[in-house]
Amino acid sequence: MKLLEQVGQAAIIRVEDAGALTLQFWSVVRKLPRVLPVVGSRRRWRSAVEQMLAIGASALPMSGIMALCTGFILALQSASELRRFGAVDFVVDLVVIGFTRELGPLITALSVSGRSASAISAEIGTMVVTEEIDALRVMGVDPVEFTLAPKYLAALITLPCLTVLSTLCGIFAGYVFLAFSMDMNLRIYLQAVAEAVVLRDVAFMLVKSLVFATIIIHVGCLEGMRVRGGPEAVGHSTTAAVVKSTFLVIVADLVGTAIFYLMGWSSIR
Amino acid sequence: MTNSGAAKAGDPVISIRGVSMSYGARRVLDRVDLDVHRGEILVLLGGSGSGKSTLLKHVLGLAKPEAGSVTIEGVDITSCSVSELGAVRRRIGVAFQAAALFNSLSVADNVALPLRELTRLAESTIKLTVWMKLIAVGLSDAGSLYPPELSGGMRKRAAVARAMALDPEILIFDEPSAGLDPIVAAGLDELILFLKRSFGMTILVVTHELESAFRIADRIAMLYQGRLVAVDRKEEFTRNVHPRIRQFLERQPDAAPVVAVEEFMTSYLRGSNNDY
Repeated sequence: MKLLEQVGQAAIIRVEDAGALTLQFWSVVRKLPRVLPVVGSRRRWRSAVEQMLAIGASALPMSGIMALCTGFILALQSASELRRFGAVDFVVDLVVIGFTRELGPLITALSVSGRSASAISAEIGTMVVTEEIDALRVMGVDPVEFTLAPKYLAALITLPCLTVLSTLCGIFAGYVFLAFSMDMNLRIYLQAVAEAVVLRDVAFMLVKSLVFATIIIHVGCLEGMRVRGGPEAVGHSTTAAVVKSTFLVIVADLVGTAIFYLMGWSSIR
Repeated sequence: MTNSGAAKAGDPVISIRGVSMSYGARRVLDRVDLDVHRGEILVLLGGSGSGKSTLLKHVLGLAKPEAGSVTIEGVDITSCSVSELGAVRRRIGVAFQAAALFNSLSVADNVALPLRELTRLAESTIKLTVWMKLIAVGLSDAGSLYPPELSGGMRKRAAVARAMALDPEILIFDEPSAGLDPIVAAGLDELILFLKRSFGMTILVVTHELESAFRIADRIAMLYQGRLVAVDRKEEFTRNVHPRIRQFLERQPDAAPVVAVEEFMTSYLRGSNNDY
């Protein structure tokens, strides 16, 4: 009986999470037009630009280096296996397809969720603790529009850019490996890359990065908004934000990829 | 400040009627009735856990009561529309306990925030208004500083300046002297009295500091376990015989916890209870 209770309790918490996330998502989406540069408010756009620097630009070195390393590892591991079948040429395909479909968005999302989900939940959690959110409400300023919407817009813009850049880094790392190990010419490598890249994969990559941006920002904001009590609650919320957003990013990745394959989009080249 | 025609000293600006609230099984507010009259300073006294913060949340429209109503300037904020609530909130300035200043903005920008967000005033007008508010609270030379660079008392003053930005008729202070040394706290009390004298504001102060309460209050209300046990002019309030008020005024501790601690300590020292 106790076990049943615990399982039920855990399930209720998950359902609550999902409900709260959906509610927050729509309330933020409704406010997004206010953040846009021309039709919205200039101050919101300015804070969105600040957020772009915080979420996007400063994550660039980290996600770039992570992508370089992963690209190198992927090429190295696959080359040693494929060489046994005399199929080293496929290393390029593997790196390109692997990065556009999977690793580019995933690595970017993981590095951003580690950096920004925690930062966002800490920032908003502190605002809750110090009554800044209450102050905004009492002043008649919508905290969703003031704090959440600029962050979401910033992530929606910067995450696809970061994803493209880290995918390029990964593909470049593949070249570096092949150039050193088998003296591959850059021109030949680029030709092979151009043959392997499909528009559909790139579109899939961008859609994924938008979904990941949504997950990271909303989990971070929700955990921050939920902070009750003192500063130590902020610490808990940052941990929860990173754990939950990382977990959800990977689950969403699985679901997305499964749909991609079930629709048969993977085989048509 | 008196822009509504019917405004005269004495009529209720905030009127709380039968407000009840509970969290789970715990009753936090139990049918609270309270009026704040125009131009007075009402101090809401209460110990920790007495429900005074919860009552404040209801007055600000941050929480909805289970029963009862809160009427501010003739508008029932428990049942009005969002835009009406916004209009009422414009007439209220709130200085929060933790000041609630935005750390990324300078003091002047913090004070300017409500003006920039809610009005279409020209930037030069906003600058002038901000400067006047900062002078009123005695921070005229701190406008360019950032909140983390301020002392506790300065931060509270900055919060007051921001609360006054839109020229509200009602000012609400949550624990104005919490965490301040006596001299700075006294300075803040003087500021509250000054605001009432010179702007005729209606002021509601929520606090547990007796000294400060008696210095500034016209009337004192006392909450205990979610119930309003007394509302009186401060002169009469000191003569109130309600045991809880006597205890509060004479600063007597609750008997039970002290005894429990003593028992625990003696048994602990005897070594009979070392598994704690």
